[in-house]
Formats: sequence, C-alpha cells, structure tokens
Amino acid sequence: MPFSRSVLGSSKLSSQSTIESVNEEMEETFCRRDFSFSLPESLLPDEKRKKGSVKEQMTQVLLKGIKDILITETDTISLLDIPPTLVSVNADDADVIIERNKQYSEVCRNRGNNEKYVERAMQTLNGATKNKQIQNNLMLMVDTATIVSAFDMYAPPEQEVMVYSPEMKQTNDTETVVDSRRSPERSLSLTSSASTVISSCSLKDVETVGSSLNTQVDFELIMTSDKFQYSLLLMERTVLRNNFQSQLAAYRKLPLLEDPDRLVKPKEGEQSEAETSCSPALQCLWVFRCELSRGCRVSSMAWNKKNPDLLAVGYGETDYRNHEQGLVCCWSIKNPTWPERIINCDSAVTTVDFSSNSPGQLAVGMSDGSIAIHNVQSADNKSPFISSRECAKRHLGPVWQLRWNQQELSFTGEEKVESLYSVGADGRICKWFVINGGLDCTDLMKLKKMNNTLRKTEQNKPEKTAECVLSVLTPGLCFDFHPSDSNIYLTGTWEGNIHKCSCSNGHQFLETYRKHFCPVNCITWCPLHPDVFLSCSSDSTIQLWKQDCINPLLSFTSNQPVAEVRWSPKHATVFGAVNEERLEIWDLNSSFLDPVIVQPAAPGLKMTSLLFASLTDCVVVGDSDGQVTAYQLQNLHVGESSQGDVIQGLLHSASPKELQETLM
Amino acid sequence: MADVEETLKRIEGHKGVIGTIIVNSEGLPIRTTLDNSTTSLYARLLRSFTTLARSAVRDVDPQNDLTFVRIRSKKQEILVAPENNYLLVVIQNPSE
Repeated sequence: MPFSRSVLGSSKLSSQSTIESVNEEMEETFCRRDFSFSLPESLLPDEKRKKGSVKEQMTQVLLKGIKDILITETDTISLLDIPPTLVSVNADDADVIIERNKQYSEVCRNRGNNEKYVERAMQTLNGATKNKQIQNNLMLMVDTATIVSAFDMYAPPEQEVMVYSPEMKQTNDTETVVDSRRSPERSLSLTSSASTVISSCSLKDVETVGSSLNTQVDFELIMTSDKFQYSLLLMERTVLRNNFQSQLAAYRKLPLLEDPDRLVKPKEGEQSEAETSCSPALQCLWVFRCELSRGCRVSSMAWNKKNPDLLAVGYGETDYRNHEQGLVCCWSIKNPTWPERIINCDSAVTTVDFSSNSPGQLAVGMSDGSIAIHNVQSADNKSPFISSRECAKRHLGPVWQLRWNQQELSFTGEEKVESLYSVGADGRICKWFVINGGLDCTDLMKLKKMNNTLRKTEQNKPEKTAECVLSVLTPGLCFDFHPSDSNIYLTGTWEGNIHKCSCSNGHQFLETYRKHFCPVNCITWCPLHPDVFLSCSSDSTIQLWKQDCINPLLSFTSNQPVAEVRWSPKHATVFGAVNEERLEIWDLNSSFLDPVIVQPAAPGLKMTSLLFASLTDCVVVGDSDGQVTAYQLQNLHVGESSQGDVIQGLLHSASPKELQETLM
Repeated sequence: MADVEETLKRIEGHKGVIGTIIVNSEGLPIRTTLDNSTTSLYARLLRSFTTLARSAVRDVDPQNDLTFVRIRSKKQEILVAPENNYLLVVIQNPSE
C-alpha cells in the first residue's frame, strides 16, 4: 500500500509519545519549513548573511537554552460531518428513502469484489490522549435471593402449552393444534415450547373454529368427569347464594352488609321499617319447591344429625290418588331450588328419619308397610338400599313413624348401639336389624285396645283398669323415646290413649295417659325438661303432660285437628303446632289460651308437617302441594333464666289445685 | 351426562345469570350462551387471570390450590370454577 505523506509530515505514531517530544518534532518540522518558505521576521536578516553559521548557532542554542513554548488549542477542525437524516416510516417519501438505503447497502456489499473500488490506507494524526479521572459515589450492592418452589419448576404433563402464532389464523388448521397437544414430542412448527402461560396475555386471541370433532370429544370428556359435576354444584350454590343472600343471612343470624352498588331503593323501604312493631311474627325466608314434588303432600321431614343444613322430606300420596309412587328429597339450605338427592320409592312415604351413628343413612317408612334404608352420601341413585319387603314380619299397614334410637348396652354402658324402631298401623312396635342384606324385626310391644266396648259407663271414672276385653290391636300413630333414658318411650294410639312403655317389658304398659278421644297424632318429649311431654290429636287439642301425672297439666285448644306438635330446641316454653289451615306458635311465657303467632296457610293449601331448626330461630313447614316453607321467628320474647326452671315455674303457677296435690 | 346438562340448564335459568361459558384447556370455548366475540374475550382474559391467581395461591403455600374465583364488579359478578382441563365461567348480575 503506497503511503503518501500528509501535509503535516510524518509523525511518530508511538502511543506513549509525550507532549514534549511531539512538540519537538513539530518544532523541527516547522523549522525546516521555515527554512524553505517564508521565515518569521526576526530571523530573516540573520539568515541571509550567515547561512552556514546559522545552522551551528541554532544547534548550540538548542542544546543549552530553555525555550518557552506556548501551546494553544486550535479550534476543532471538522473534516467531514454529515449528520444522519431521520425520516419517519409513515412519511410520504419514505419508500424512496428505503429504496435508496437498499441500494446503498447493495453497493456496500458489492464493493469487496468490484474492481471499481480500491482499498487504500490513510494515516491520520491522532490527537494526544488525555487521562481524566473522576470520582463517583459508591455503588451500593444488595444481595437478593428468591426461593423457587417445586411448582414453578415443575410443569405437569397435562398442563397445556399455549399455541399461538400469527399464522394460525391463516392456516385454520385445528388438527395440528390438537395433535400437538396430544403428542408433545412431535415438534411442529406452530408450537412454541418456550412460551409460558402467563405471557399468553399479550398474544392475539384465537378465533373459535366451528364445532369440529375434537372439541366435541373434549366437551364430553369434560362433562362426564367428576370434577366438573362438583364445579357445577359449587357454581349453582354460589349463584343461588347471591340471589338468596339476605334470606340466608337471616337464617344464619348474620348481619347483612349493605351492597354499595345496589340501586338505591325508593323511600318505601324506610316507611315500612318504621311500621314494623316488636310483636312476634313469622317472616317467610324461602320455599323448597321443585317440579318433582308438585302436587305431593309432605308427610314428614327430618334434619340430618351431622349436617344441620340437610333436610330430608318425605312426600306421601296426593289427595286424589292412593298408593302413588313415593318420593324422598334431600334438600340443602344452600340450594332451595333443586334437591341434592332424589329417591324414588315404591309407595307413598309416611315417615323419614336420619340415623345418628351413620349420618348418611336415611330410613324411610312407607304406606305399604315396608321400610327401606337408603344411603344418601353417594350421589348415584342406584346404590343398593336395604328394604324390608321380603321380611315376613313386616308391618301390614302403613308405617306411621320410624325412629333411630341409641341404646346403651347394660354391661359396658359406653357403647351406643343404634337400632331402628317403628310403629305401624297393625299395632306393633318393632325393632329392626339388618340380617343377610335385608331387614328383620322383633316385636317390642303390641298395642292392645284398651277401651272397653261399653265406653259410656266408664267414661266418668278417673282411672280405668287395664282390662283387655278384646285383644285386638289398635294402630299406633306415633311414638317418641325419652331424651335421656333410652329405654322408656311413649306411644300414642288410634284410640286416643298414650302409653308409656319400656323396651325391656314387652307385655305391659308402664303407664297409660288418657285424655284424648281422637287419634293421637304426635307425641314429643320436651328436650330441655326431662319429664314433660306434649301430645296433639285430631280432637283439636294439645295436652301438656308430666311424666308421673295421669292427667294433663295444661291443655291448649286449636280450631282444627292438629297434625303435628314440636318443641322448640332452644326455648323451653315455646312449641309449635300445625293443623290443616294454620301454623301456631305457642309461648307458655305469654299466654296459655292463645298462640303467640298464627300463620294462616295460603289459600288452597293445607299445612301438614312442622320442624324446628336446631341452631337458628327458624321453622320449616310442609304443605299439601309439596312445598316446604322456611319461616324465621322474630321478636319472640323469651326469658333469660335456665330453661328447666322456667318450665318448672310455669307448671307450678299454672297447675290447678288437683294437680298440686298429685305433684306432692 | 343428562343430569349434567340439566344442572347446566338450571344454572342458566337462575335469577340474574347473564351467561355461562365452558372453556377447554386450550382456551377454546366449547359451550357458551353468549355471542362469539364476548365469549372469546372472556375466555382469553379469564384464562390468564385464573392462572395468575392460582400461581399466587400456590406461591404462598405450595400445598394449597385454587378452587374458585369470584370477581365482583360494579355491574356484575364473574364466577369462575378453574380446573386443570377446563374453566367454568358464569356471569351473574346479583342486584337485579
């Protein structure tokens, strides 16, 4: 490569040239120049006279003296400065410029092989380097660490990698997408294995591609999985909870917070609030109803012992059809629109009861005398149940009441064996147990007719001798075990008598209580006071008895035959009764003559069944159209003292003289 | 299969429910009662949202898992039941 000397002459390219040496060089070059060209004025006359000695003088002076050299910085010489012009892509002449850029890059590329261009080196004068030191603030270093959980590193095989790419819209090819899901080892051009799912939020959306075969298969797979059914259950309950929020909050006695986004209701609400007085009232919360149960009469209800939100309702025959197929529905508080379980029975259901030992077992008694035990835990309706159809000793008439009862074995005193007891229209009280996949029973008691044929003459006597003229059995309609002593139970008969019996004595009644002259429909022990029980009958009366006393302590009259009576589980003085046309709530604290709350039935409906809810102030009432309504008791003024004392006090204050004698 | 359909229809018939969407594992809606554009919008957005929610829950406690997501907004409530291979979405207007 030929070198050409620049105008300024050669310069040492040593990287470590100091300022002085460069200046010396510069000086030399300048001197030489000055020789050949125009000199500075001071030297001009000397040089012309002494050409030869000037040279010598110069060298001596140079060696001895110290020359002061002034260094100034020249202005920056800009040899070539072409600032780049920037043009926006959207400008009008952008295309032209892009074209030119392309051409230029072509030229640059072709330069290497082109003869037109010759490479040539050029030497430039490098400016002196300067060292410049600056001082900086100390950079703070911080150590951070993070813990990565196994979940972050682990990508389970089912977790699908999102497949998105701009080409997808054009190819419209679902098969490849699905294939990549099914066999991830096949690397297709469309899959991007590095993309995480979170980054998919920046990706374009995929258009839905019709209903191709693969999505249909997907759909069925998903629909039949258990998880999906559970999700559906959750979803339905959540949706309903939103709808029923105020009612459920009232049921569970939770304060309801105001929803700030709810539309502001007009001022009618405020007015009605001012009008509500503090009198006891019933507020309707919701109604359990569905198409399945429409038209069927509710015959009995029972709460689950373990899950207090679960209510089993037995539907009996409708009014105009006998021996209709019976139905039992298990409703949950969380879903008042559709029952959790639906059990179809062979004949009309008369009674239901949940077991305490195994809370999933539901015993159902039917009007053809058979008893079935269903397991409500499995959602599958085809789970086998135990029935007493084949039992030879089964009830010949409708089973009027069933009870699970726990009995302590006398030896250990700790084991609680639970067995099923039933009372039927054939006058027998039986104890059932499971043998060989079926039910078998032993008779506990036979209810013999107590009243003589000549009733007229003996009606006035206060005590009757237990003479059995005819050993014909009378239908037993109800029975109830003593809450603390599981050996003792009371049973009410068609004749109107109430017998106290013991499990160990199957022949004799311990006691007989006579007052009703019509069939006794319901008997219930008071859960809070050990010796008190209530009975109701079709003669429109409710009687309050004490265990040791032959005659009732108090009696209450209603206007229609009373179907059911129940004690409140929380307040010892409150009980409820339901007859065909209304629901009555009695409070012994307030009045003996009239019920405290009366709720008439809707027109055309007859109320048939009643239950108190155990944890809250609510009652559920079943009626003849298959609806079960939940009411909340409001403003019942009940005292604070212990429940047993309250009853005791009442009894003492209310009992007539005759009873006071017997109490002594 | 039939009672699953029945349950779905019941949910869609409840008071205040605007629509239901079932999204499969790839983000494709396989059953919906809303129009296509809304459905695909919801499917895409909720998919990433539930994944974020799930990773948040599991980062706090790796043995925990997300079971349900409810997004309450001024006008409506979006209920999402997330699973590994599907998303069940119900949009409800509870204050009707």
